[in-house]
Amino acid sequence: MPMETGFVPPPRHGTMPPHDVMERAAQWYALLISGEASAQDRMRWEAWLASHAQHRLAWQYVESVSQRVLAPLRNTPDPQLLAAKVHAVHTRMRSRRRVLAGIGTLVGVGLLGWAGGSHPRLPGLVAGWTADYHTGTGDIRAYTLPDGSRVWLNAASALDADMRDGLRRLALVAGEILVDTAHDARPFVVDTPQGRMRALGTRFTVRREAGRTFLAVYDGAVEIRTAGDAATQVVPAGRQAHFDATHISATAPADAAREAWSRGELIAWDLSLADVVDELRPYHAAHISLTPEIAQRRVFGTFPLRDVDGALAMLADAGSVHVSRPWPWWISIQPRPRRARP
Amino acid sequence: MTAAPATACTPPIDTLYIDHHAWLRTWLQRRLGNAADAADLAHEAFLRLILKPASRGFASTLEARAYLRTMAQGMCVNLWRRREIEQAWLDTLAAQPQAYAPSAERQAMVLEALQEIAELLAGLPPRAAQAFLLSAVCGMTAEEVGGELGVSSRMVRKYVAQAMLCCMQARAMQTAGALAHMPAP
Repeated sequence: MPMETGFVPPPRHGTMPPHDVMERAAQWYALLISGEASAQDRMRWEAWLASHAQHRLAWQYVESVSQRVLAPLRNTPDPQLLAAKVHAVHTRMRSRRRVLAGIGTLVGVGLLGWAGGSHPRLPGLVAGWTADYHTGTGDIRAYTLPDGSRVWLNAASALDADMRDGLRRLALVAGEILVDTAHDARPFVVDTPQGRMRALGTRFTVRREAGRTFLAVYDGAVEIRTAGDAATQVVPAGRQAHFDATHISATAPADAAREAWSRGELIAWDLSLADVVDELRPYHAAHISLTPEIAQRRVFGTFPLRDVDGALAMLADAGSVHVSRPWPWWISIQPRPRRARP
Repeated sequence: MTAAPATACTPPIDTLYIDHHAWLRTWLQRRLGNAADAADLAHEAFLRLILKPASRGFASTLEARAYLRTMAQGMCVNLWRRREIEQAWLDTLAAQPQAYAPSAERQAMVLEALQEIAELLAGLPPRAAQAFLLSAVCGMTAEEVGGELGVSSRMVRKYVAQAMLCCMQARAMQTAGALAHMPAP
């Protein structure tokens, strides 16, 4: 479930029974109040309670919710009306949260749609509005998932999370994520249309590219299984790979600097100017054009991703390029005009 | 050409306050459209920072602001939700027959329970939340709820279990949070 609380401390082990025990207690509750529990079900429930102290502890949480929160509402003259009101507020708040998260995004997309026309990120971004977690242009965010795992969403990215049915599953709808998984008995997987990546205790980056998925592993290991089950491969820490629905590339050394976006930085170590501009594009609503003759110039430096104008000014200062802005929604990078040096 | 990498360690709270308080208040005011609410929430955000210092240091101004923004966003949503729930409760009371006149204490208890359930269910999909409310608050059977929502009673039980688990975990976290704030013996 999406919980944008972000910084809730993870439950302490020792105060809370394991996840599967809590889940079982919740299932017992659902059965017992459903009106469908048989006498045999009740006996089985009692046996379950009696069999382990952890089971009784989990049940205490059920009772605490039931007594503190549910009972006062049940004991009003018209619980139906109250339930309807709470539901109405719930629905309204969900849409308001979306709107809140989207402030600043709509403007950016409007500009992109106008200037870029066929911008490849656009479809993913629009799809992203209905995702559980999403970011707009120029926006990097960190989330804590309900299991305690941390996820950073790069700009123009969208992610669905599903923690039910004994599996921690993320679906990357658009863009790029960095994941730092929490320890939990349930498997942790990330899905893209090209396949499934299964974390083997770890920190890794996944990015959607045209028709393929990019994976870089910084800690632990990740197993790739392509969509058609055609290929599987374990990518260890310090390696990266691309894959599509049928084929996984050979692994290459992972570029640790790629992780820097989660801190709002782009670390360029001998990148081409074209690569640097590609990396900056998701962070700025305006279209950035680059004259081909300077596209292969080498760039070294650390650039602020959340301040693209500042980054471009740095490029202009040191890179002997000229950055101009003919229209508010158009940035142009050209060779610096030749002029006699003093 | 290199920008000096920002590698400051966690600045003390007063530096954070000086650097970001005005910015946060402006940010909140733009969203809330109300200076008094914005001032309250900005104040509360810094109180939380003091009480629960982030487990990690802020490497840069940007990171500190990203943290504050995430926190402030959650606080905005909470404020709106609390206001809406309060209004909903007042509307409900107004719609009750004269004979129903609960004591002030009882009213406060119901309102608090309403606020809590709304907060607990906030992360759930609408259907699961509704199934839970109809089953656990209204006392309808799974079959009746299934008829209402157009799903099987098995599905209703799944929704109810999902919602209950979410509530249990939230309560467990509250407990853990309370423990974390208790002074060391």
